[in-house]
Amino acid sequence: MLTSIPDSKWVNRNHLRRFPPWTEYGLCIIERPYSAFVAGHQEQPPRTDRNSVIRFPLFLQASLFCFTWIAACVVLPAQEKSRDSALETLRNYCYDCHTGDEAEGGIVVDFFEQNKPLDRRVETVEKMLLVLREQQMPPADYDELKAKERVALLDWIDGELEKFDCGEVSRPGRVTIRKLNRVEYDNTIRDLTGLNLNLAKDFPSDDVGDGFDNIGDVLTLPPILMEKYIAAATEVAEQVIANKKATELLFPTKADDPKDLAQVVTAARENAERLAFRAYRRPLSSYDKNRIFELMRATYSKGFTPDEIRKTLITAVLSSPQFIYRVESDDNRKFEDGVRKLDDFELASRLSYFLWSTMPDEELFEVAKTGKLGTAEGLEEQVDRMLADPKSEALVKNFAGQWLQLRDLENLSPDPNSFPDFNERIRSAMRRETEELFSHLLKENRSVLEMLNANYSFLNEDLAGFYGVEGVQGNYFRKVALGGSRSGILMHASVLLITSNPTRTSPVKRGKWVLDNLLGEPPPPPPPDVPELDESGETLGTLRQQLEQHRANPNCAVCHTKMDALGFGLENFDAIGKWRDQDGRNSIDPSGILPGGRKFQGPVELVNLLAEDKKAAFCRCMSRKMLTYALGRGLGVYDRCTINGILGRLESDNYSFQSLIKSIVTSDPFRLQEQAD
Amino acid sequence: MSHPSISRRTLLRGLGVSLALPWLEATTTVAKAATQTPVNRMAYIFVPNGVHMPNWTPKTEGYGFDLPRILQPLAPVRKNLMVLSGLTHDKGRANGDGAGDHARSASVFLTGAQPRKTNGKDIRSGVSVDQVAAKEVGHLTRFSSLELGTDAGRQAGNCDSGYSCAYSSNISWSGSATPVGKEVNPKLVFERLFAGGSKKEADQNRAQREAMQQSVLDFISDDAKRLQKKLGRNDNRKLDEYLTGVREIERRMNAGTDDLELTHDVNYAPPAGIPKEYKDHLRLMCDMMVLAFQTDSTRISTMMFANAGDNKNYRDIGVPEGHHSLSHHRDDPEKLEKITRINHFHVQQLSYLLQRMQSIQEGEFTLLDNSMIVYGSGISDGNRHNNENLPVLLAGGGAGTLETGRHVRYDYETPMCNLFMSMLERMNVKAPYVGDSTGSLSNLS
Repeated sequence: MLTSIPDSKWVNRNHLRRFPPWTEYGLCIIERPYSAFVAGHQEQPPRTDRNSVIRFPLFLQASLFCFTWIAACVVLPAQEKSRDSALETLRNYCYDCHTGDEAEGGIVVDFFEQNKPLDRRVETVEKMLLVLREQQMPPADYDELKAKERVALLDWIDGELEKFDCGEVSRPGRVTIRKLNRVEYDNTIRDLTGLNLNLAKDFPSDDVGDGFDNIGDVLTLPPILMEKYIAAATEVAEQVIANKKATELLFPTKADDPKDLAQVVTAARENAERLAFRAYRRPLSSYDKNRIFELMRATYSKGFTPDEIRKTLITAVLSSPQFIYRVESDDNRKFEDGVRKLDDFELASRLSYFLWSTMPDEELFEVAKTGKLGTAEGLEEQVDRMLADPKSEALVKNFAGQWLQLRDLENLSPDPNSFPDFNERIRSAMRRETEELFSHLLKENRSVLEMLNANYSFLNEDLAGFYGVEGVQGNYFRKVALGGSRSGILMHASVLLITSNPTRTSPVKRGKWVLDNLLGEPPPPPPPDVPELDESGETLGTLRQQLEQHRANPNCAVCHTKMDALGFGLENFDAIGKWRDQDGRNSIDPSGILPGGRKFQGPVELVNLLAEDKKAAFCRCMSRKMLTYALGRGLGVYDRCTINGILGRLESDNYSFQSLIKSIVTSDPFRLQEQAD
Repeated sequence: MSHPSISRRTLLRGLGVSLALPWLEATTTVAKAATQTPVNRMAYIFVPNGVHMPNWTPKTEGYGFDLPRILQPLAPVRKNLMVLSGLTHDKGRANGDGAGDHARSASVFLTGAQPRKTNGKDIRSGVSVDQVAAKEVGHLTRFSSLELGTDAGRQAGNCDSGYSCAYSSNISWSGSATPVGKEVNPKLVFERLFAGGSKKEADQNRAQREAMQQSVLDFISDDAKRLQKKLGRNDNRKLDEYLTGVREIERRMNAGTDDLELTHDVNYAPPAGIPKEYKDHLRLMCDMMVLAFQTDSTRISTMMFANAGDNKNYRDIGVPEGHHSLSHHRDDPEKLEKITRINHFHVQQLSYLLQRMQSIQEGEFTLLDNSMIVYGSGISDGNRHNNENLPVLLAGGGAGTLETGRHVRYDYETPMCNLFMSMLERMNVKAPYVGDSTGSLSNLS
């Protein structure tokens, strides 16, 4: 995919210096503004908005320097001004405490004045973004920063961060050991034993952080869960021993002569070690082997029967932290500059929990033994195979289910008086529709942008009737052309219901949902003391009129203009996603103007606008969500460079879904681990 | 005051018939035979979104106070409780952390600590009062504490303006980074409390099972300790949680004495699972708490009637709208009426719990006499999200240590944590402070 070799003078050696030899297969991405390449690294980057920067990501692959153009997104107006006003805001609200040697908390923020590359200061900048977005700064007893200034400052800093050059520092990040979550636990037990026991349904729910329930730092193990792990492991042991087929699967090796004790012991050890290897998903150390043998010997000497010994073994292995956590140990590892390549077994687990939410299968273990997962080609080959496997349905259920919040559908109960058409069948059909579309795009390797504006969907008879689409009979879901009545997931009943209140729609929630989950531009939370709506105006009139009163306040308007425009564009869909022309006595006006001035007449025009004007934002957002899910950790500032690389490939591959997945699994954060501090 | 020493086995043998759901009448409790002083218990119940204070706060103070509309269901137990007005959770306020009052309202409720604003790693709150007590006196019972709720917690997305869901779905924290987690399925609570069913295992089987379990525990704690040496700081924090869990199980096993063993039949039909109706669910969870106290399986419990910021509807009482969206009432009388109805409904369930406890005799006293139940919310008014003058009730006699039947008003900004200090004293737990406590609360006895 990469063809030309850039003139070497364009490449600053500094960018290469820190990459250890093993990056030869890696994808190292260097990004800088166009002018910096032409004029040399030390030149100041032009003061442009992130969206107008023309990017040259450089891919180092197989020791070749190749490079490709990433077309610029949309050119937005004048940046000098926003820089000046951002600096003005910083001076007025931050410098009092955060300059000089005595700066509060040692945080100095006046380096923007010098207009130099950010380098390691990015970490400070990232903190600034966080405390500004969460309104933790300026402190409550300082002058109040108006919402409008806050948003402008945030946008500008975000733009500066986009220009950050990762070439200087390679930080793949460290993933904290991940406890198997409930889904992963059940799937892993299933694949380990061949028994579908669903024991995790009784576990406490998994903690959610960064939008997902597989984040190592966030998942906790309360004492009650430890009890349940042991109880579940005991249950698995009972079931395995009670089931001949499962016993055969777990203990295949038999002594030729059952009376020969030495032979029996050898066979038992072989079986036990094979079980532990599969359960821990890695080759055993000699220490592990000895521990397991000790366990068997101790129980034997206590007079346990062979079945009891096996039960104890299964219970112990499945209660071990090496089974319950996905461990990537630092022990006996060689780090270079604080970073190491994951070994093939670690990669096999990362792949299988990402794409399947379960342990590696036999083939993946075999491939890991050969060392093929150490190459990008080897990884991508497995991705192809794994996506074709029915187990990849887990990615749909668990990734899309959380990204798009489809899992929340279960807990919603629209008011039956207002919405008599809603029932349990429709509820499950709604979820299924969105999953089917996601699955279709994934398996058929379609453009991810079709999430936004596919002019077809997947319906069964119930849902077709609900939508007013004729000619669909039967309970199975099939692809149906929608002829412009609905388009993309924003017009799926699932999303429309998730973003509504029990008795009415909420344009604000819908707008916020789009910004949070599709465009990755979450609005900052409302100021702590949101002014109450002016009651004198009396809350008659349409919802739109009410919210327009709200937006008369410039502090609200700065975010609500954006949110509400998106939400009102979807007002033709009621709180359960059915089409309507009227809201009570008022007829609906679905037209609006997006920030930047683009007008739309109704929902289909709105989503087409998003798919066109906002495709970069959408792809960035989706990539960030998926990388978070794939890694099991929240993203940091250094991951921006990885994301830029993923976006580059996505764009050059026509946004095809599988190239998104492949660029994630071949990225540095997926294949490398940082040393523990 | 003293309880007659009774052997609980004798007592339980005396319990004849197994009664129908949801409750068994005329039961009596298992007072610890060995203890001379009466057993005292503490429980904390959390309700989300504040309450409508004008319909909550009694107009008169002291004895014989009036029962405003929301508190009316408590008429049968009015003499056994106190309404405490004026308490404050300062650390539930933004204090520079911006929005997220709902998440804070739950995490501060029993900790009195300002939660760190984070949606991912590095969650930090404080140790909650129930867990302070559990660490000190939890070893006296089979379970050091029991955490209950009705909502498992959100499955996806953020919970509240940059706060992790851990904050809004937990009130019990055993360490500043470790929410205890709660059980929402009454069936599982029952099984956990009374595992092994009612029949006592044959001694031989039991020895066998225990030997097996001991081998497993040895094996896995060894594994965890060994792993700890090879991993980083964050990883080790996770493994600490694992080891804490293992130790808790070992403690219960090795205690092994008759004192900590539940050996009697429990005359309560095991719950089948989570009931469809919210009201039934709440009542069943209340039953579980009472059973746990009655059998002296634990003396410390918490319960979340719902998670912070909960938006479920209460259609059965004529409220089809979500609770949270209603709580932003902007003084709309119709919304205030509906919020009052929800608050009233919750207090009805509290009253059910208190009356159950009152019906259980412990010598010449009742289970309610020998307990302290705090009921309240972490914010006061749902619209303003203010954290002063919180709605707080303290029910039960605290084993003769509380002068009940009164409405007590405290000075503006009195820390809620001072109440916790007073309760810890009554559990014979010495703690230097809880959260932002400045001392203990006057005028309780």
